[in-house]
Amino acid sequence: MNFIKKTILNTDQTVLKAEDIIAYRSRKRGSRIFVYAFLSVIVLWSVKVTIIEDTDWERMGSIGKVISSAARFFGVDFNLFPDLLIPSLETLMISFLGTFLGVLICIPATWFGALNITPFKPITYPIGRLLMTLSRSIHEIVWALFFVSVFGLGALAGIFSIAVRSVGFIAKMSAEAIEDINPGPIEAIRSTGANGFQVLLFGIIPQVIPQVLSVIIFEWEINIRRSAILGLVGAGGLGLVFFRQMNTFNFHGVTAVILAILGIIIIGEFVSHYVRKKVT
Amino acid sequence: MSILKVKDLCASYSSSGPEILKGISFDVAENDFLAIIGPSGAGKSTLIRCINRLVEPTSGQIYFHGQDITKLSLRGLRNIRRGIGMIFQEFNLIDRMSVMDNLLSGRLGFTGNMRTLFKAFKRQDIDSALKLLERVGLSDQVDKRADELSGGQRQRVGIARALMQDPKLLLLDEPTSSLDPKISREIMNLVKEMAFELKVPCLCNIHDVQLAMDFCNKIIGIQEGTKMFEGTPESLNKEKLQEIYAMEVL
Repeated sequence: MNFIKKTILNTDQTVLKAEDIIAYRSRKRGSRIFVYAFLSVIVLWSVKVTIIEDTDWERMGSIGKVISSAARFFGVDFNLFPDLLIPSLETLMISFLGTFLGVLICIPATWFGALNITPFKPITYPIGRLLMTLSRSIHEIVWALFFVSVFGLGALAGIFSIAVRSVGFIAKMSAEAIEDINPGPIEAIRSTGANGFQVLLFGIIPQVIPQVLSVIIFEWEINIRRSAILGLVGAGGLGLVFFRQMNTFNFHGVTAVILAILGIIIIGEFVSHYVRKKVT
Repeated sequence: MSILKVKDLCASYSSSGPEILKGISFDVAENDFLAIIGPSGAGKSTLIRCINRLVEPTSGQIYFHGQDITKLSLRGLRNIRRGIGMIFQEFNLIDRMSVMDNLLSGRLGFTGNMRTLFKAFKRQDIDSALKLLERVGLSDQVDKRADELSGGQRQRVGIARALMQDPKLLLLDEPTSSLDPKISREIMNLVKEMAFELKVPCLCNIHDVQLAMDFCNKIIGIQEGTKMFEGTPESLNKEKLQEIYAMEVL
């Protein structure tokens, strides 16, 4: 109400009358109509450009044809399952090793990016934060394309893209956990004559370890999903099989791969849920 | 003989900020149990933290066994800190570690990095930890996590941790403020007994004047960073107290 008085009606009267409120609202009505109209135009324009003009309507054909195209995926190529075992394991390993490597990269990133422990604030803190942002703002597929061109096709590229992509989240959450610690025990450890390394081991790590472990496991669970699709760009695992089934028009095979992905993700979720409960 | 000699100590938290301590001087002698009293915000905690440089003093000298602490390098400071035990208001234990590990953390200054990494403390450290736990009455809690203990028990762990250092001086920062009156007296009793047994002088911040009068042999009163009183508990009368606290004391 103060807002109405000061900015719109410019009065000093302490009690607003109904007329004032109605007058205020009718003044606002114009801009409101403009906002709605503007949003509608944006939506309609987007639909026109991206759907109406961009879709190959000829090829899609009738509704019946759309349904039958979708129906090709119904059914599972059970013969493929034995061949999925190794790629599934590979996907799990990529996610596991990728997360592990990511955690290693996180150590300096977290150290630099946590305000209260960063060694030289004006330089190291921005570096730490930059590493985190860089990691997160580039999609894992783009990282994978980059690492495939560096290491060639195969799981190693997948491991590196997972690792680099994980740094952003794990390091950011860990740095924030470190920034939130209780300074009391740190004081106590310092007052015993301990050095910086000992303060880290006895003062900082015990305080953040449950949160950090929980974040790492959560990220690992996400990394299973990521590594399952990285094969699309040649970085190993189930994605590669998926890509091949798609290319050979074996649609039931595609469904089989999707089921396998679903299977390992469910396994990952179970493990993640159980372990995270244990550590916190 | 004076163990600790503080001269014209000044401190502030930032170069532009207000001065917390404005030139404080006092001595701690061999068998002293010295209390620092004063209203909240007077600078008691800052003063005590300046002694082991958890807070960096801006000027003045602190002589500990003749050595000026304010002039020490980082390594020299760590060496001095090993000999000064500290007990805190909020206990400041490592909650997720066992009572034993908390005690052993008092030995960190004497332990190498590799031993720290693998928690491979020396046999004699573990022996003296067990002995101290028995002395403070926590023999049955050795393996408990620190956050499972009650307030009084935690402060006993805090005392034992400080004594693990074989300190030549004990700093106590409001050691009883988080405890109820009965436990407070028990804790003060324990500290006093242990300090007497081990011949460690104590410097103790305390806002409970009665406790200070009962347990200490010397009292310093500070107000807004300046020393207003120094003397024995007997010489601290109502007028002096009113001056320190700048208010009517009932």
